[in-house]
Amino acid sequence: MPDMRFAPPNPIRIADRAAGLNAVSVRSYNERLVLSMLLQHGSTTRFDIGEKTGLSAQTVSVIVRSLEQEGLVTRGEAQRGRMGPPTIPMGLNPEGAYSIGISIGFRTTDIVLIDFVGGVIDSATLRHAAPGADHVHPDLHATVGALLAKISKARRRRIAGIGLALPEGFGDTQELSAFKERAEADFGLEVFVQNDVTAAANGESLFGIARDLDNYLFFYIGAMVHARLVLNHQIHRSGSNTAYDVGLLHFERALGSNGVSTEELWRRSAESPQYASAVETWKRDCVALLVAKVREARQFVEVGTVVLSSYAPRHLCQEICDGLAQTEPGLTAVVGSIHHSPKAVGAASLPYASRFTTSG
Amino acid sequence: MRTVLCFGDSNTHGQIPGRGPLDRFGRDVRWPGVMAGALGPGWYVIEEGLSGRTTVRDDPIEGNHKNGRRYLTPCLQSHSPIDVVILMLGTNDLKRRFFQTAPEVAMGIGCLIYDIKELSPGPGGHVPEILVVAPPPMLDDLHEWSGVFEGAPETSRRLALEFEIQADSKEVHFFDAASVCACDPADGFHLSEKAHRDLGLALAAEVAGIGWAD
Repeated sequence: MPDMRFAPPNPIRIADRAAGLNAVSVRSYNERLVLSMLLQHGSTTRFDIGEKTGLSAQTVSVIVRSLEQEGLVTRGEAQRGRMGPPTIPMGLNPEGAYSIGISIGFRTTDIVLIDFVGGVIDSATLRHAAPGADHVHPDLHATVGALLAKISKARRRRIAGIGLALPEGFGDTQELSAFKERAEADFGLEVFVQNDVTAAANGESLFGIARDLDNYLFFYIGAMVHARLVLNHQIHRSGSNTAYDVGLLHFERALGSNGVSTEELWRRSAESPQYASAVETWKRDCVALLVAKVREARQFVEVGTVVLSSYAPRHLCQEICDGLAQTEPGLTAVVGSIHHSPKAVGAASLPYASRFTTSG
Repeated sequence: MRTVLCFGDSNTHGQIPGRGPLDRFGRDVRWPGVMAGALGPGWYVIEEGLSGRTTVRDDPIEGNHKNGRRYLTPCLQSHSPIDVVILMLGTNDLKRRFFQTAPEVAMGIGCLIYDIKELSPGPGGHVPEILVVAPPPMLDDLHEWSGVFEGAPETSRRLALEFEIQADSKEVHFFDAASVCACDPADGFHLSEKAHRDLGLALAAEVAGIGWAD
């Protein structure tokens, strides 16, 4: 029996690197801990990683070196301190991983390809033949295939998976399971499904304006208005109805739009005083609902910040935020910073969560 | 004040390439000196470089005192508490008389890591930070040393990977010196003044990069 203290070492980590992202099934909890921290906090130093994860400096050193060689993590610009050598921050390599996000809405299906830090590399939008729920667009598979075909082989190997964001109550239709099965078979990518509003909140938490917020109230203004409470980076939703009918559908009805696209409505409202006053009324209704929801939440937890996400024009969102902050003292209200398909970008963060973080 | 101990061979001692064993670069030129300058006044840098030092092997020609393992423990205890131990060894293990493969040289480094952890000469009796530095590969032309080091240049090119595997499995810091410097052609295995400078600055950044509470 040889003395195991001096037995040849197991070169498992080195072997992992050669295999690239495919070997992630053996990704250790500690590696996930470090990656979670980098996804959540962006650039940081090895010292901070150690402080926040409780791992020893030597363990962090081994993990960071391994992630660096895998191409998931990169060194930032050296920061000069008052004395001593410069410190080098570590961050995620934007080109370390990619992900596909799909959001199926009422009128359109949005598809995005994002990098490891949430940058949108490519996107596509499929317009539904008729507005409605449970719509799996017949071209969805081909469109995802076309996005994948456009990128280089090296990037293709680094795709973590496909995230699919579906609205509340989306039917588990045959078309949906057929799409999932075909995507997994044809592209070799796992499909992860999440509620679309939760996905949008996730996107803001990981890549957007809520990155440094532990706790906040998230509102999404789509056809309806939806709310989520984020506590310590965990997204919570009410068990009962969470959709409020003062969203864009309500606004369109108020204008008697008769199928006119929302984009067209925004354009007209800028020109006609009649439309402008309708916008004002709608904004007031929105603010009133959001204030009520903030007050409800504040009866139980400390809510200092509201993040508002919407595909409505940014200046309108900002005005709603301003209204909110004026009505409710001590509240900060900000517009989400993911402008391009926030639900699809949020959906694309799902494969990262599953494959690289401790919540996976 | 923090303490870093540099445990190495002639390339830590500062032997001048292509010259005799008594020719040594000045203190500020040798990499530990360069590192001390870069780290600043908060750090105390101890040089422990011995020409011909091996990781764990008694040298039948140069003497048993070249065995790094014999001297490491008393050396650590003499200088404790130590915050960082830098190990830069391995080249002398490649002499023909030892007939070692790269993984076995790396296992010698593994033994030294084990001994450091066992002694725990860090502050408060803890394990200090351990930084394994893989020496830069030897050049093919070793001049009058080519007989002593027959076959060594090829093996030396595999040391960095094997050292890193050891460092990973024992969970310690690792740095590949070849990423910043190379051996000098004057003798093919010693470091020039510039190599000492580049290595010293790089290792200072590595030591600082470990991260220290103020």
